[in-house]
Amino acid sequence: MKWCCLIIILAALRIDAQPHPDFSGVWLPGAVADIGLEGAVPFQPWARTKFQENSAAKQNDLDLRCLPPGVPRISFQARPFEIVQSSNRLLFLYEGGAHVWRQVWMDGRSHPQDPNPDWLGHSIGHWEGDTLVVDSVGFNDKTWLDDAGHPHTEQLHVIEKYTRTGPLAMKYEVVIDDPGAYTHSWTVGNSLSFLAGGRLEEDICLDKISK
Amino acid sequence: MMSRMARFPGILCLGVVCGLAQQPNPKLAKDPGPFLPGFGAEQDRVPKTVAGPAPHLVDGRPDFGGNGAWFPGFNGNIAETKWKGIKSADRHVDVPFLPWTLKTFNERVENLSKDDPEARCLPVGVPRFMFDPYPFQMIQTADQVIFVFEGDNYLWRIVQIDPQGKHANDLKPTWLGDAVGHYEGDTLVVDVTGFNGLAWLDQAGHATSDKLHLTERYTRTDSMTLKYEVTIDDPGAYSKPWTAYNTVRWRPGMELMENICQEDEKSSRHMIGNVKK
Repeated sequence: MKWCCLIIILAALRIDAQPHPDFSGVWLPGAVADIGLEGAVPFQPWARTKFQENSAAKQNDLDLRCLPPGVPRISFQARPFEIVQSSNRLLFLYEGGAHVWRQVWMDGRSHPQDPNPDWLGHSIGHWEGDTLVVDSVGFNDKTWLDDAGHPHTEQLHVIEKYTRTGPLAMKYEVVIDDPGAYTHSWTVGNSLSFLAGGRLEEDICLDKISK
Repeated sequence: MMSRMARFPGILCLGVVCGLAQQPNPKLAKDPGPFLPGFGAEQDRVPKTVAGPAPHLVDGRPDFGGNGAWFPGFNGNIAETKWKGIKSADRHVDVPFLPWTLKTFNERVENLSKDDPEARCLPVGVPRFMFDPYPFQMIQTADQVIFVFEGDNYLWRIVQIDPQGKHANDLKPTWLGDAVGHYEGDTLVVDVTGFNGLAWLDQAGHATSDKLHLTERYTRTDSMTLKYEVTIDDPGAYSKPWTAYNTVRWRPGMELMENICQEDEKSSRHMIGNVKK
């Protein structure tokens, strides 16, 4: 009986210590250059025109000038990133882009009333079963949604869902909701691969252009 | 001095042999003074929060985190207690310059650090972030200490915890180096090597070479205070190892804001050095 209680207590402690899936480690997104290929993109007319302009003028891509790729584009580029799970937030450390990091608050807070327009937005997260749901607002309108050049406005609202489907695999689904650029929200998916034992390298974009 | 000797190798030879005609070392450049009147006046204000004991994690390791951030303020010279007219490092150090690093340092002080890589949004480097006016946080996991910075392009740094202290083979030269740490009681000790030799040790302009090897020691002496010691062993830049010191204060409740230096960066092209001749 004593042993039984002990096992139950230990099991409870274990559950308490690790109540959610462990995503920590290095992940590599699949490369998706154009997230509009999966289905019809609900462009507003100006956004369609802007997309065509961007596609024809890749030299205007701020990613080439070492600015952060933004969300969700950073999850469609084949450059590894590391997830760190701490008590009140998740950190995403990105090897590519501008060597930036991103924090997802898991402490139940709301978005600020008037967030700064950021490159990576303001992100809050919660768990729905084994799925991590990250809700982000507060973006500037300078980034593109993908390498192809899908534009967005400061009204961009992104909902990302991360679900680990196996030891080495994560399903990534993102809802793009931007009433300033698209007539309704649309969803795109990607897969992330776990790089077991992987370590991020230092890759400073500016080293390649600031000579 | 170097160019004159190169032009007259005979004089150099005679000087070395006879101990004559040796040029005195150029003097170390002095503090050029405050950027602006009143610069940094708020920096040394005493925190209102009363310090408690240094916190620890459940397993006894020192806890370098919590609800807040570390904020070094502007400490422009890692070898002087005062620089730009305000508090700088904790201790004065007689830096064992090699001739080229003394010359470089003096030039950088004279031209007001116009070629500072950090002003061009390049990574701050180590140990400069412990002397730089950007807040940062330390997040500890079982096998890593992650530093996240507000400054530069919202930079991060990973220290891999490995009591064996092993660096990877064939390190690629980098701005932040390859960092391997372990805990010695309440101190986090970090061994860093694999640098690219481009980062400055501080805003004043102490140079580095790609032979730079650092030993950093972080100790949270109370809830509000982080004591930092860094031994700089760089035979490509200094004649012997030397140690710099700083104290960094905790700012309770401070959260880091996204800061992208590269956004609309227009300053560096206007930095032309000291024109007040």
